[in-house]
Order: sequence, then C-alpha cells, then structure tokens
Amino acid sequence: MNGAADSDARPGWAVITAALAVIVFLQVPVIVVVLAAFSTTSYLTIPPQGLTLAWFGKVLSDPTYLAAIRMSLILACGSTVISLALGVAAAYALYRKALPGAEAITAFLMAPLILPAVVISVALLQYYSLTGLRGSLFGLLMAHVVITVPYIVRSSLASLSGLDLAVEEAARVLGASGLDAFRLVTLPLIQPGLVAGALFAFITSFDNVPVTIFLIGADQTTLPVLMFSSVEMGIDPSVAAVSTLLIVVTGIILLIAERRAGFHRFV
Amino acid sequence: MIRARHGLLLLAPLTLVLVAFFLLPVLMMLPTSFREYVPGAGLAPGVWTLENYTRIVTDDYYREVIWRTLGLGLFVTLACLLLGYPIAYLVARGPERWRVPLILLVVFPMMLNLVVRSFGWIALLANHGLVNNLLIQLGLIATPVKLMFNMTGLMIGLTHIYLPFMVLMLVAAIRNVPRDVEAAAATLGSSRLHVFGSVTLPLSMPGILAGSILVFVLTISALVTPRMLGGPTYKVMATLIYDEYMQLLDWPSGSALAFALTLMAIGVIWLSSRLTKRWAGMA
Amino acid sequence: MSSLTFDRLGKAYGDIDVVKDVSLTIKEGEFVSLLGPSGCGKTTILRMVAGLAEPSQGRILIGEENVTALPPNKRGLGLVFQSYALFPHLTVFENVAFGLRRRKVAGDELPRRVKEALALVRLDAYGERYPRQLSGGQQQRVAIARALAPHPRVLLFDEPLSNLDAQLRDEMQIELKRLQRGLGITTLFVTHDQGEALSMSDRVCVMAKGVMQQFATPEEIYHRPATGFVASFIGKPNRLTGTVATRDGAGGSVRLGAGPILLVAHVDRPESSPVDIVIRQEAIRLRAIGLQAIGLRGGTAEVGAPPGALDGTIALRSFSGARVQYVVRLAGGIELVAEAPSSGPESMLAIGSPVSLTIDPGAVFAMGPDGASA
Repeated sequence: MNGAADSDARPGWAVITAALAVIVFLQVPVIVVVLAAFSTTSYLTIPPQGLTLAWFGKVLSDPTYLAAIRMSLILACGSTVISLALGVAAAYALYRKALPGAEAITAFLMAPLILPAVVISVALLQYYSLTGLRGSLFGLLMAHVVITVPYIVRSSLASLSGLDLAVEEAARVLGASGLDAFRLVTLPLIQPGLVAGALFAFITSFDNVPVTIFLIGADQTTLPVLMFSSVEMGIDPSVAAVSTLLIVVTGIILLIAERRAGFHRFV
Repeated sequence: MIRARHGLLLLAPLTLVLVAFFLLPVLMMLPTSFREYVPGAGLAPGVWTLENYTRIVTDDYYREVIWRTLGLGLFVTLACLLLGYPIAYLVARGPERWRVPLILLVVFPMMLNLVVRSFGWIALLANHGLVNNLLIQLGLIATPVKLMFNMTGLMIGLTHIYLPFMVLMLVAAIRNVPRDVEAAAATLGSSRLHVFGSVTLPLSMPGILAGSILVFVLTISALVTPRMLGGPTYKVMATLIYDEYMQLLDWPSGSALAFALTLMAIGVIWLSSRLTKRWAGMA
Repeated sequence: MSSLTFDRLGKAYGDIDVVKDVSLTIKEGEFVSLLGPSGCGKTTILRMVAGLAEPSQGRILIGEENVTALPPNKRGLGLVFQSYALFPHLTVFENVAFGLRRRKVAGDELPRRVKEALALVRLDAYGERYPRQLSGGQQQRVAIARALAPHPRVLLFDEPLSNLDAQLRDEMQIELKRLQRGLGITTLFVTHDQGEALSMSDRVCVMAKGVMQQFATPEEIYHRPATGFVASFIGKPNRLTGTVATRDGAGGSVRLGAGPILLVAHVDRPESSPVDIVIRQEAIRLRAIGLQAIGLRGGTAEVGAPPGALDGTIALRSFSGARVQYVVRLAGGIELVAEAPSSGPESMLAIGSPVSLTIDPGAVFAMGPDGASA
C-alpha cells in the first residue's frame, strides 16, 4: 500500500511519453544538421546518399571561416572578461547593501535583458555612427559587454545571496584586509556560480547575431554572422559542417561544465 | 561593514559603461524617431514630425506586421506551454536519476547557436527539405507543401528555440509546489488528475505566467530565426526594423518601430507584474 | 590579554537608537556576559567591538588603545559567530591557520600553533577534515580554536551555544568556562539565555532597548535587580498587577489585584498607586494544609497556615523531572505559578488541595506600570 500512495505523485505513462516526444523534437534539427554535414548531396535525404568529410575540409581551409572564428573568439573572450570584472564588482556592492536604492540599480543593470536586442543594436548603430566608433573593435566589445553583463550580475547575485555574510566577517576579524577576505573566502565560495555565469556570457557573445550584424565593419565578420549570411545566399553544406563543429564543441563544454560545476543547478 | 565610498567605487565602472553604451544610445534614438526621412538624402533638417509613429497604426502593411508579430508571440507561447509542461513535470516529479540527463537534453539545444538551429529547420522545412522529401517518398503528397516563408515555419522554428526557456521556468515553478500539499489533497480523496488540477496547476501558476511572459517577449523580439525561416519578404517587427535600417536606411521610421517594439515588450512585462501582485494579494 | 572599555558608546540607525550611551570596563581576564532579549542592542555592541559596525558616538578601548576607528583586521580580536562561520572550502587545519597566516606566522611555528589551538578544544585529530564532515559541536569547537589560535587580546562570543541541543549546550558551557579560566583571556559573551550568563560570567551586563540596565555579579543581578526590567527578566517570574497597600520604611505591602495583600521589601511608590508586581516562582514556598499525618505519635492534627502566608488551592499540576510546578489559585481569582522539589512532601498535591504560600518579601518586586523600578 505504501507504493500505491507514493506513486500518486509520480508522472504517469502519458506524461512520460509526451515529454520524451518533445525531447526528441528538441534534438531533431541538431541531428539533421549533423547528417547534412556528412552528406555528399547539398539536399538532405534519408538515408543520406553517400558520406563525406569534404565539407569539413573545405571549412577548415577557408580563410574567411578561420578569420570569422578568430573574431568570434576575440569578442567572446574579451567581453566575458570585461563583463566578469564589472559585473562581479557591481553585484558585490549590491550584495553588501553599500548604497541605498539597490533594487533600482539592479533593475537598471538587468535592463539590457528586457529590451529587445534589435532595439539595442539600432540605438548603438546610430550612436556609433555619430561618435565614429562604428566598425571599431572597442565599440563591438562594449556592445557585447552590454548584452552579456546581465548574466554575470544575475549569477553573481544568486551565488552571493546564498552566502553567510559572517564567513567574510570572520576572515576580517581574523586579520584579513577587505580585499584578502574577498579573494580568499568569498571568491572561492561563489566560483561555481561565476563559472556558470561566465559560460552563459561567453556563449551569448559567441552566438550573437542581432547585435553584431548591425555594428561590424568590413573585416569584422563573426562566425554566426558569416553563417547567417551564407544561408541567406542559399543552402550550403559547409554551413552544416561548421554547425556540426559548433554542436560538438557546445556539447563538450556543457558536459565539462556539468561535471565540474554541476551546471544544471544554475540554469 | 562596507562603506558607501567603496560601494560607489565598485558600482561606478559598470554603471558608467551601461550609461554610455546602453542608456545614452537608446535615449539619443528618441529624437531621431521624430525626424523626417528623405529618401536618398537622409534626415530633413529642422523638420519634426509624429508621422513615423502615426504610420505604424495607420499603414496597412505595418499593421499587418504588428498583428503577425503579436499573433506569433501568442501562438509560440501557447505551444511552448503545452509542449513544455510534460517535460517540466517529468523533471520536477519524475525519478531522481532522470533529472540531470533530462535537463541537459533541454539545455543543450538552448546553448546551441541560433543560426545552427534555424539552419537545421531550413534543412527540414525547405521545399526540397527532409520533411517534404519524406512525404513525397511516402506518396502522401505529390508536390512539396510550403512549410517555410510563412507562419507555419516561423511557429515551428521559434517554438523549438524558446521551448527550453519555458521548460526551465516551469521546472522551478513545479518544484516550488510543496509535495505535502499534493499529498494532503490525495489523502483527502482526490484522484491523481484532480490533485494536478486543483493543487499543482494553480500553485505553479506564477511560474507559468513568468515563463509565458519570457517566451512572448523573446518571440516578438526575435530577429535571426524569423529572418532565416521567413526570408526577406515574410516580415515580423524585428526583421522590419532590420530592413528599415540596413536596406532602406530610413532611421526615423526604424527607430519609431524600435520604440513601438520596446513599448510592447515592457507593456507585457508590466501587465504581468500587476497580475502577479494581484494574485499574491489573494493568497 | 587586555581590558575592554566602552566609553559612552552609542549606535543609531536613522532616528532609532539601537545602543544608548553604554559605558563599562571589562577587566583583564574577566568573563562578562551581555544579556538581554533580542533587539536589546547586545549584538550591535559586539559588532562595534569587532569593527563590523561603526559606532555613532563614543569610544571603544582595548587596554589603553582607542580602536574605535580601526578596521576589524587591525584590532587583534577573536570572534566566535552564532553560525560558526567556518570557511567551508578550507580544512579544519586551514581554518585555524587562517588568522595565523594573516599575522605572517610561518615555518614550523604555523603547524605548532594550529595544533596547540586544536588541542585546546580536543580536536587534534581532525585537521584534515572539512567543516561539513564535522558535527555541530565539533564545528563549534573549531570556531573557538580558530578564534584562539592568533592569541587575541579579547575573545568575543555571539550567542555561540544557541545552535546546539540542550545536553551539548550544558557540556560546552563548562568546557568554555574551563578554557577561559585556563587561558585567563578577557571575554565578552553575548547571549539571551540568562542561565548561560549567570552560570558562566564573572559579571553580567543586562541590556534592554539599547540601555544598560545593570552591570554586576550574577548574584547581585539575581538577588538585587537594579531595575524593574532586570527583576522581570531574570528568574522565572510571575507577572501580576496590583496597588501599593501600605508603606513601612523602605518596604511595605502590595495588594494583588482585588485579592490578597503581600509583604514587599522595597517599594518607593506612594500608597494606593498602581504597580506591576513580579514574584519569582522559585521564591514561593508551598505547603499543604488540612489533615496531615503526624508520624509516629499516630493520629492526626489540624495544621493551620503559618502567619503571613496566603491561602490558595491547586488548580493545575505539571511534573517536569526534578521539580513539580503548580498553578495555585488565590482569593480574588489571582493565579500564581509555584514549584516544589519532586522528591519532597509537596510533590503529590492533587488538584483542588488547599495550600498555603509563604513568599520571601525580598523576592517580590513592585514597580510602576511604566516599568520604572519601585
């Protein structure tokens, strides 16, 4: 009888079937892209007609793609580092309630998440045209900081709020300066949350099209923008090959993050 | 004890960056939306007009795009709710050992590049795409069905893209429903379905609302997927703004549309927070 | 070791005074408790001493040194937190070494000092564990070792025993006291538990609403409370209202409600003024009256109430191990709680039994209804 009472709260078969069907739906385009990347034809058929690695070779020897990958990495790394420095400092000040009006400040720091990306982009487009920042790496970096920093602020605030303030105070009373107490105690304790936040920020920047596409100069094309433009020109299996590479890399990063930091707790 | 001076020092850099690269640019766009655009020449000097805004409500084409955007938002939100609730319920209430793999399977597509995912749907939905080929091979249809460059394609693609967000919000909401309350309803003689309908569903309502708002706002703001699956002609607001700026160079009209889109997004968020407060008041 | 002095110490948040004008000196090696209900300002005082809160007025001196403006890391104090606040990412050894490293203790001396501190709390063997692998009592002892290791000038405790269960709490009280005596370290102990404060301290400072009520030895606090607040906060009080019936020198008598009259050792209110009355449960002597066995002589005799005693009947009895508590109903519907040892002759009184109560006038405190002492 115990079992019967217990099973009442569990999902029934109908729910499980529906859920698994939707999980499959979520993976379908991913599978299709991978299949297309190995297919000899430019149109995908089931079963694929002939397997080839040619598209991968084409992409990895194409200087346009390599430059775009390099640009994307520079932007994603740069904006993540800047966002981390700015975002963690701000979140820490908010957590310690150093200033009045913390709620209003938090709302302002999170505002770039609420505004549609396309609106931020066109605003920056006009602003950069007026200030001469259009086409500059600095302008592009700052635009990416604006769209990534809310993720850092949010994950920092979440990690800090789970922290007993007394732990940092204990370090202070034991003789640590404010900076030492933060470095030796607070930072190690919020690190898992920060790693998750940084990962989010990195991916957000690396994947971004809507902001980047408005602001890049001629030689600043990023990988997703290049793929976006290629698809506009017509279907090209080399896009599938790049996509497959991204799928594999994303999957690996996700698994590492899960292993190392228990990533699922932070999403 | 951390002094106000230190707090200011810590907050100032980010605040300044956001003022310089977010607040100021958005505010500077406001005057542009009241200027007149002369094709080929740019802004008409010294002319101020409301026309960019009135056109949004009066022009048939703009109105169609706006209704299409809102309709899309509504459809995608409902689809995400219906498809997302079973997964969320399974993650929240299913066997413990399924939880992490399920979450990872939901998060994985979410982490994946938008262009990659949209590209996948193109490969599936195009006239010579996988779905049409399969249907023709099976003899169900003779000529390809139009699945892209219309509402169907956009709905499928955007639902796929925003479903993970909905699932994560719903998981949090369902896990917030105390199991004791469900158990109490069950001991009072409720069937499993009745427990769900009378306890779980109402108590997860705030999360359902939050997830719906998130998906709705993301959908009406989306640019990449509508562009890739809708093509250059089947437009929504974000792609319309993109074209006004990048193809037509009509910044005044584009900025007015941008503010209209912002207003819609913020309006929906405001409305939902009012609703949430009212619900909190009832409880 | 140093003395610790508060000189007109005060703290205000906006218009609200949390601590008002507190001055006292804790002597070298002395154990002083700050005792009071939550919100009385005791924790704020401790945080100001540690440098975690800034005083609005007054000075804090450690020995002769004015530390009021020093940051916490420059004060050379040890602090044991209510939540222990151990560093969860460091081993027990590194927790204890943290303060030593900040003071640039290095080489062989570091492990020696860490071991010495861990030995004091009998945790020598636990250096490699992490805090989460320890029981609550062990975590508590690590927190104490961590505070002691750098040889602080003053040791501060913020309700350190409140998270332990009752039995462990009693053990830790004795262990802490022994440790403090052994080291002769000046100690400020913040607590809301009067039992802890009275049993462990050389002197107790009772606080209420940010104001120091009395700073004296535990015996004095208990037997000669300086204010009405102290009288009603210490011991197990019966709280009643009444009026002053007669005045006789320093003392007199009070009438409980519309009921019986009671002798009081100290009253300074005029006759017939309304007063709040506190009677300690443990100061009420309870005796059965009526038919009583007289033992060997056989037979029975009427035993009357002694002169000056109050008559009542038992309304409720509850047994709690060493003692039995009775609710006694007096004339006029007044009810008092009184206790008797559970091994004594008064341990088995049935509900409805007539009893007489003798009350030591020195354990009755009458004060004006505004809480001022009477």
